[in-house]
Amino acid sequence: MSTPVKSVFAKLSYLVVDDFENFRISMLHMLRSCGADNIELVAHAKPAIDYCTYNHVDVVLCDYNLGKGKNGQHILEELRYKKLLKRSSLFLMVTSESSREMVMGAREYQPDAYLTKPINHAMLEKRLSSLISQRNALLPINREIDRENYPKAISLCNAALSRLPRYKTWLMKTLGELYFLLGDLSYAIKVYDEVLSQRELSWARVGRNKVLLANHRYDEAVESLRKLIKSHPDYMEAYDLLAEGLERQNRSGQAQNVLELATTRSPNALLRQKHLAELAEANQDMETATEAWRQTVRLGAHSIHHSPNHHIALAHALCDLGDGDTDEGSQALAHEAISVLASMERQFSESETLELHSLVIQCRIQAGRGEVEKANSMLESISERLSEIHPLELEMGLDYAKTLYRLDNVREAKTLLARLHESYGEDPEAARKIESLLDEPVSFRMKIKARVLNREGIAAFESGALKEAEETFSKALEIIPDHPALNLNLIQVLIKQHEDNGSIDKLTDRCQQHISRLDDLPEQHGQYRRYLALQRKLKALTL
Amino acid sequence: MKNRNIDFSMVLALAVHDMKNSLGMLLNSLDELRAENEAKLTESSKFNTLQYEAERIHNDLVQLLGIYRLGENNLSAHIEEHSVSEFLSEHLARHTPLLEGLGIECSIESDDINGFFDTDLLTGVLNNTINNAIRYTKSEIKLTAAEREGYLVIRVEDDGEGYPESMQHTGTLSFKSLDFNTGSTSLGLFFVSAVANLHSEGDRKGYIKLHNGGELGGGVFEIWLP
Repeated sequence: MSTPVKSVFAKLSYLVVDDFENFRISMLHMLRSCGADNIELVAHAKPAIDYCTYNHVDVVLCDYNLGKGKNGQHILEELRYKKLLKRSSLFLMVTSESSREMVMGAREYQPDAYLTKPINHAMLEKRLSSLISQRNALLPINREIDRENYPKAISLCNAALSRLPRYKTWLMKTLGELYFLLGDLSYAIKVYDEVLSQRELSWARVGRNKVLLANHRYDEAVESLRKLIKSHPDYMEAYDLLAEGLERQNRSGQAQNVLELATTRSPNALLRQKHLAELAEANQDMETATEAWRQTVRLGAHSIHHSPNHHIALAHALCDLGDGDTDEGSQALAHEAISVLASMERQFSESETLELHSLVIQCRIQAGRGEVEKANSMLESISERLSEIHPLELEMGLDYAKTLYRLDNVREAKTLLARLHESYGEDPEAARKIESLLDEPVSFRMKIKARVLNREGIAAFESGALKEAEETFSKALEIIPDHPALNLNLIQVLIKQHEDNGSIDKLTDRCQQHISRLDDLPEQHGQYRRYLALQRKLKALTL
Repeated sequence: MKNRNIDFSMVLALAVHDMKNSLGMLLNSLDELRAENEAKLTESSKFNTLQYEAERIHNDLVQLLGIYRLGENNLSAHIEEHSVSEFLSEHLARHTPLLEGLGIECSIESDDINGFFDTDLLTGVLNNTINNAIRYTKSEIKLTAAEREGYLVIRVEDDGEGYPESMQHTGTLSFKSLDFNTGSTSLGLFFVSAVANLHSEGDRKGYIKLHNGGELGGGVFEIWLP
């Protein structure tokens, strides 16, 4: 028995990552006595990744907890993401039970196996030899997947089902994923249904729901995922999928709740925190969004998903949260925003545009905390530098426009937005962003206040309380005088009043005043047709 | 002193985490020490006691955390299909150095079947029962696995005195049935029984059975998983 096993070990190359020298040495001894020969030992992430860049590794044995800096999960993500480690190679995460739960919450890239400390020779030999024989048996399939030849991989899986019944779970899982990747949803669902017909298994249930979502069967998926979470509150993947389903149903509030629950249970998945931040932002829950961006930035420090956009998003959220107040809390938020930007500049020091972008936001922060003079002098130097860049990046341009508005340079802001529209207007998402800034160039709090008033005004109008509607829309317009929909809403109320009790020239005067505020409304604006219609109607009335 | 609003079970859980990690390091060192000084230590009963008791504490701490998560309603079985004989032999490997040191013979008799279970949870169960068996056996422990009445039945048998009358039972233990006045709280059994219960399939749930006899004539622990 021992000779063939030994030769199996000898054929492969190994990398051991652990920050404790004792552990590395004892792992080396254990691997050697199993028959392994080609073994590299490293203490940290950097040398581990460097080694994999220039050498072929078949088996990585990586400790989760590597002290300061990147942990084992970061290494796994980086190796798989950069394709430095093929699917046909094994990644074993070495954990103590307590780090286990931390690891399990990861949103992507699972290791091939966990080894729980303490590890002795007999255990390692048993575990590794069964993993290696599984690897060898499945090697042809994984090779095709590495080559992205999915149809070939599928036919190999199907052929292996009867030949390798021991690996049936792996084969069915892989089949489901491959069909899904190829977009063959009906076959994917067939695979999961076959597994589920024998037994309720969470992975198959999750897989099936993934397919349902892709098939736009949202209600079904949402209901099933809710049930799964109830019976398996620690199955994190189900939360992410459920949130996705709820979003597609336009229930973004509920989706946010689900992700909040998930992040309390398992706070260390960057992509989940980011998803939560974006959702909360869309739901205008700036407190939650801010906290989730904070976590996203924190987790980014060692992650492959590290991006300056997270810092900028956090600075925005902090800005929005603190803007308009000069109390202690707001000062602290402004302070935090500035230090977030500073740390971004440090971490991505090679980018000049990033530095400028940071200055644009800092300038707005200064304005927000009442330091108008300082802000204006900052703006001057920024404007000069920005005028040399053509075309401006969209996000940077939007930020610049916001800052211009904040410092009451309305004309420049509008010109800038028109220019941005020329460059990016064809992308509907970009057009929407530009338009909404044009409509509501005020701080987050003001925007929300105006929106609430707008809703109340509409409700009053619909119930026939015209006087109340008029007052409410007027109040909202005090906040955002040029808001197209608000102006048109008020005009509509005034016309209705006019129709109901006739006469009063003043009304039409007021209408004229409001319609002229929209003189430069661009043709592609969502309210443009309504604007034209009301303009015509007004003309008819004044004749 | 004002009410400081301390969530004591949380504090305990954190402390237990920490202790368990330390103990993991300690166990690692013991294994290495044994390997480095094989000739001297194999027969040393002091060293065996040291390792056994450390294992036992480690196992208790793992269980405590499991029970904490159970109480927080944050423990569920991630059931997947596994080869039973492979699982058992991998598991037994962990105990091999100590078993050899103690001169206890240990064997596995398993049909070549696949079973559906959560390997982590079942590892906890086996650690518990094997540690228990090591304590009470004379010279031999046997692990067996077979399919019976649609259940996967894993057994741990020994050739010791067997379970006392009061402990023999079938089914699920409730938290209330724990008796903190007798020396043995059966906390381990409570955990093991809870783990069995977390394994369900349709209406069927797992359970445990304790009795005496078996092939070795001592205690027999059985976990039945649907």
